[in-house]
Amino acid sequence: MAARLALATRLRPAYRLVFLYFRCLGQQMKAILAYEADFVVLMISAVMVQLTGLLFIWTIFQRIPNINGWTFWQVVMMYALIFVTEGVGSLFFEGTWRLSNLVYTGQFDQILVRPVSPIVQVLAGAVGFNGLGNIVTGLFLIGVGIANTPVAWTPGRLLMLVILIASAATIRVAINLGSAASAFWVKAPWSMVPMFVHQLGEFAKYPITIYSVAVQALIVLAIPFAFVSFFPTAFIFGVDAWSIQGLLTPLVAIYCVLMAVWLFRVGLRRYESSGH
Amino acid sequence: MPLIEATGLTKKFRQAVKEPGLVGSLKHFFTRQYKDKLAVDHIDLSIEAGESVAYLGPNGAGKSTTIKMLTGILVPTSGRLIVDGLVPHERRQQNARNIGVVFGQRTQLWWDIPVIESFNLARDMYEIPPARYKENLAHFTELLGLAEFMNLPAGKISLGQRMRADLCMALLHDPKILYLDEPTIGLDIAVKDSIRRFVRSRVEERGTTVMLTTHDLGDIEDICDRIVIIDNGKIIHDGDLAALKDNYARDRVIHFELARPPESMAPICAGLPACELANDGLGLSVRFDRFRFAAGEIAAAVMRHVEVVDFRIDEPEVEDLIRKVYLGQLSLGSAESDAGSGEAKSLVEA
Amino acid sequence: MGRYRKYVSLARTSLEITFVYRAGFALNMIGTIFYVVAMFYLWQTIFLGSSSALGGFTWPEMKAYLLVSFLLNSLMTWFAEWNMSMDIKEGRVATDLARPMDFQASRMATAFGPLPFELFSALVVGAIVATVFGGIALPADPAHLVVFLISAALATLIKFGMVYCVSMTAFWTTGIDGVMVGRVAIQNIFSGALIPLVFFPDWLRALAAVLPFQGMISTPALTYLGKMDGPTTALMIGLQAVWATGLLLLGRLAWRGAVRAVTINGG
Repeated sequence: MAARLALATRLRPAYRLVFLYFRCLGQQMKAILAYEADFVVLMISAVMVQLTGLLFIWTIFQRIPNINGWTFWQVVMMYALIFVTEGVGSLFFEGTWRLSNLVYTGQFDQILVRPVSPIVQVLAGAVGFNGLGNIVTGLFLIGVGIANTPVAWTPGRLLMLVILIASAATIRVAINLGSAASAFWVKAPWSMVPMFVHQLGEFAKYPITIYSVAVQALIVLAIPFAFVSFFPTAFIFGVDAWSIQGLLTPLVAIYCVLMAVWLFRVGLRRYESSGH
Repeated sequence: MPLIEATGLTKKFRQAVKEPGLVGSLKHFFTRQYKDKLAVDHIDLSIEAGESVAYLGPNGAGKSTTIKMLTGILVPTSGRLIVDGLVPHERRQQNARNIGVVFGQRTQLWWDIPVIESFNLARDMYEIPPARYKENLAHFTELLGLAEFMNLPAGKISLGQRMRADLCMALLHDPKILYLDEPTIGLDIAVKDSIRRFVRSRVEERGTTVMLTTHDLGDIEDICDRIVIIDNGKIIHDGDLAALKDNYARDRVIHFELARPPESMAPICAGLPACELANDGLGLSVRFDRFRFAAGEIAAAVMRHVEVVDFRIDEPEVEDLIRKVYLGQLSLGSAESDAGSGEAKSLVEA
Repeated sequence: MGRYRKYVSLARTSLEITFVYRAGFALNMIGTIFYVVAMFYLWQTIFLGSSSALGGFTWPEMKAYLLVSFLLNSLMTWFAEWNMSMDIKEGRVATDLARPMDFQASRMATAFGPLPFELFSALVVGAIVATVFGGIALPADPAHLVVFLISAALATLIKFGMVYCVSMTAFWTTGIDGVMVGRVAIQNIFSGALIPLVFFPDWLRALAAVLPFQGMISTPALTYLGKMDGPTTALMIGLQAVWATGLLLLGRLAWRGAVRAVTINGG
């Protein structure tokens, strides 16, 4: 009985955070839905980006059968994973992209005088409906990609697939949050450091075997974008040489979250509200 | 034990220095120069529960920086700060439950959604018991007249409406301390009045501790019992309003209305040494040090020489007092007191 | 001359702002290196894996194409577009209407102000990438270089015209990010920034030919490499000029319509 009570009191704060996160996010959704035209434009633009990217890959594969041994569907899978995870980041955690501006203008003050974790408030601070477009088309492409894999899909393997996608999205969001924490050091009205880190994700759209060792080290070890797309793809297609690393993805996700939270906390101590 | 206690509280900022123009930008590109600014310089401040304190000072004197340290927004560079038993920046979230904050320039309300939804979100964030919430909301809605715009988004209501809604939101969770930063800036008289009455009622009925920064003397006189003045990061006055008057308002002025113009001022002047006299026809005013003369003595001295129809005594204006405090700094030869005199001017305008 | 002084002054201010946010611009520039480097590695793998030239391009030519494309893409960054849309969105247009300035001309000054900075940093980045990968094709004929410069200037005008037209949508939508992202996506594929247009299947190439985007990257890049014969080059540059003029005019029309709508309906 006592043990259950202890667990309940320990769970309660976590439950409260999740509840408040969705509560804040809900407010943002209501606000955005008031602007119907934006919603449509954002969805269309997200789909457009995916289609043009796909068109690019398709055009290349019209000329050559494979890139360094990687087939069309494998590259499409990497692309799709990048877009799905980006979509999750936009739809549910777009707030990370607002942090720079909040800190720059001093509006972050408001977050600090509320009795809720600043990280939760930042994450739930905005909604990007372009994410919905990315998630839907990305998932569709993943589905088509899976239909083109040579492996047999057991329930265990399907479960692993779900875990991998969730981990990949977590890594992506953690990278966003960690780089957004740079706002406490670098004062700028827009997210320049997060944008910079985000652009590193370009490398993850293609198989990492095409890069030099330095670039590979950068996206495997330094900022692990390779675990968002490449390693999970290798696992999904049963490419033996790289599948094992794919199984590390959940661990990498945990590591990234811890790093992001740590960076945010360190940065928070440096916060100098603008205008004294 | 005081509710708010600061000892040697200090905040230092590092500022980038840049020369103007393209050349300056280019230089700045390659070499950045910084200088330190002591925004708050070893201040000691102790506020008891239930006090209402006006925290005054020129722009850039360190008012907002102090408030931001008290609310836990800023981490002090050095010194000790305890608010209701907590170090604010270390226990931000607990501290947030004890305080309500209204920044006049910014809003806590969500811009695009109806005001009432912002209140509901506050209810969830602060975990206000439903009954308490309902009661407070109904009470504040009535006192502040919020009903007419409760269902409009914050972006669509006027500044005065927004300030009232912000005030309501800051108090829904019954905070022990209410911080108000320029709460009436840019508002019209009627709204100012309703806000002041509301805040005063919280002080008197609930014993809420209020700390207020303002450029508006009406705010001070209607809400506050105690005045703390900060300049160049240092507290230069701390006392109640009456004490301030005693310390700085030695001068009084009596205005006389005469039956006919005096033939000569000389005898009157002779009878009132160390006083300043001014005469324009039927009006005569005497400025005197109230610690040297009683008002009656002055009146008697004047009436010995001329026939007086009517007279009135000017009470010292708070704005005069505060200006004098700043000017006092000036005469002490502080190098950076230019800001002080500028501020004195803006206080007069307010 | 006096008439244009104010615009020159605006351009200078805009350049100064770029310096203020120099770290941001530098980071943005370095960020684009990732994209260029990724593309270089991708195409390197493709070219090394195939025995002959692809789509009529040799690997050194392809490298030159990618670099020229990067250089042109670096001019007039999102900053100009973002600024323009924000001006409209935040209602600063009203103050602009009260100024004795042409809106389009002043936006152009603001957009072109940072060009020297952008060009310089893009050249630095380009030089680094060129050194690392080596073997970049140079123009076979100095005349190609002259024609290329003309074509590049027209490309920048087209880009401005396009960005200006698109930012007008800020009058109607509040979220400008979506519109910006959408434009970049379409522009990247149809301008030839991602892949030379000859790689496209016929139907896609036909589509690209009737759109203004090819004048932004493809035409200047092909003149640099001397891939088109004399008459074709003249025709393509003429087409660039037509599109540049057309887009600038369209922008003026859109502006006039929008202002009328705003001043009648209120912002």
